[in-house]
Amino acid sequence: MSSIFEIQRLAKLNWKSSEQASKYLFSDISAEISESDRIALIGASGQGKSTLLRIMALLDAPDEGDMLVKGTSFKNMDSKLWRMKIGFVAQQAVMLPGSVEDNLRTVSKLHDRPYDHKLVQRLLEQIGLEQLDLSKKAADCSGGEKQRISLIRSLLLRPNVLLLDEITASLDIDSTQRVEDLLEQWHKEEGTSMIWVTHDLKQASRISTTTWFMGNGKLEQHLSESFFAESAENLAKRFIRPLEGASFL
Amino acid sequence: MSYTALSFTLLFVLGTMLVSVWQKLGLEKDIIVGTIRSAIQLLAVGYVLQFIFKTDQMIYVILIIIFMISVAAWNAAKRGKGLRGLVWRIGLAIATMELLMMGILLGLHIIEATPQYIIPISGMTIGSAMVVSGLFINHIKHEIQQSKGEIETLLSLGATVPQAIHEVRKRSVKFSMIPTIDGMKTVGLVQLPGMMTGMIIAGADPVIAVRYQILIVFSFTASAAITSILLSVLSYRLFFTPDQRLKQSVER
Repeated sequence: MSSIFEIQRLAKLNWKSSEQASKYLFSDISAEISESDRIALIGASGQGKSTLLRIMALLDAPDEGDMLVKGTSFKNMDSKLWRMKIGFVAQQAVMLPGSVEDNLRTVSKLHDRPYDHKLVQRLLEQIGLEQLDLSKKAADCSGGEKQRISLIRSLLLRPNVLLLDEITASLDIDSTQRVEDLLEQWHKEEGTSMIWVTHDLKQASRISTTTWFMGNGKLEQHLSESFFAESAENLAKRFIRPLEGASFL
Repeated sequence: MSYTALSFTLLFVLGTMLVSVWQKLGLEKDIIVGTIRSAIQLLAVGYVLQFIFKTDQMIYVILIIIFMISVAAWNAAKRGKGLRGLVWRIGLAIATMELLMMGILLGLHIIEATPQYIIPISGMTIGSAMVVSGLFINHIKHEIQQSKGEIETLLSLGATVPQAIHEVRKRSVKFSMIPTIDGMKTVGLVQLPGMMTGMIIAGADPVIAVRYQILIVFSFTASAAITSILLSVLSYRLFFTPDQRLKQSVER
């Protein structure tokens, strides 16, 4: 399988102030994402998972290293084109001004693409929002509704890689299941690669073939099957390990 | 009015100072600085205008307008600390507005092409444009902080910078024009504006004075709109990096 997205020796400093950097949040992170890879990105809080995702989406800049989409560095590619290939769904779903439908039409409006009404309807049904009044003000939707609308909004962009930042954190079990099923089907039909940040290890094992584990400022890559075959105790240790050697004084 | 009579108005300042001391407002120093500055500035301007009117040379008119625009731009840019290159952007917006405004007023012979008309009217529109610019910068900074999620969501969906900032820009332009439009609605009902008051005190027919005031009110509205829209076009990129990311911190 060919590599679609590559990160090379990526590093991000932890900025104390605008002038003074203290130390690396993470450093020397390299990885390759092949077409239709499904990656779970896990690790304790504060390890830089969201920052890494934001850097990949070009919302944040790395302090060192490079990123390539199909062999072209982000330094040589128009950010807009980059972002159309690397979609990002934020942890906090933000609704744009206007109705739910306005939000769903954003991509077709921005890029002069036809609005695929049938597809949207199908996605809404699959994700459990078929009852939602599309003329409702998006800002008035519940947190869970907003999260799912923002996911569909990003799917309609049809990116090659989809970055998902804890997108089911505010959803109930049924909605979470629906989101997972929807993304699985989308992955099968569209071949979209996905990097999914989650704190739910069971979810991580369900949705991924590869697992990226972030800890101590580094990234480890594992095959999900073997990674999650470890005992629960061992898995738990991985999440505690980053604290070892850390100074509490 | 004699200088002796004028000096009696210092009683107003003294009264304010006493209130400040009594209520511990801590405004004494600012009041003293403000009093001295306004007196010196206005007296100086009086003599400068007297000189310009006497010599009747267009070059002096142009110089004084350039001076006004520079001071206005520098002053309004204080609202946007941390934004590099804001002064010349505001200056350019105000200068363009001034050119358009004078082009119309003089081109259509609405006012006479003499320093007596050009300088005061320019001063008033430039002053109002300065306030509008300050309001715009203040508000867009606030809006960008508030709408960071909205802007980044749009960027993530492949929007260009102008597309991502469009709504924020619109809201900021609108906000900066509110005082001008509100002022237009209540003018004459609440306050009698400075120009008209001055003309009436100087003995002009109130109906004539009102005509000029209407001219000023309409110019203010146009100048507010032109300045704010131009400034919004010239300045929004200051909030983004060259690779189209929203800057993470804009100093307040």
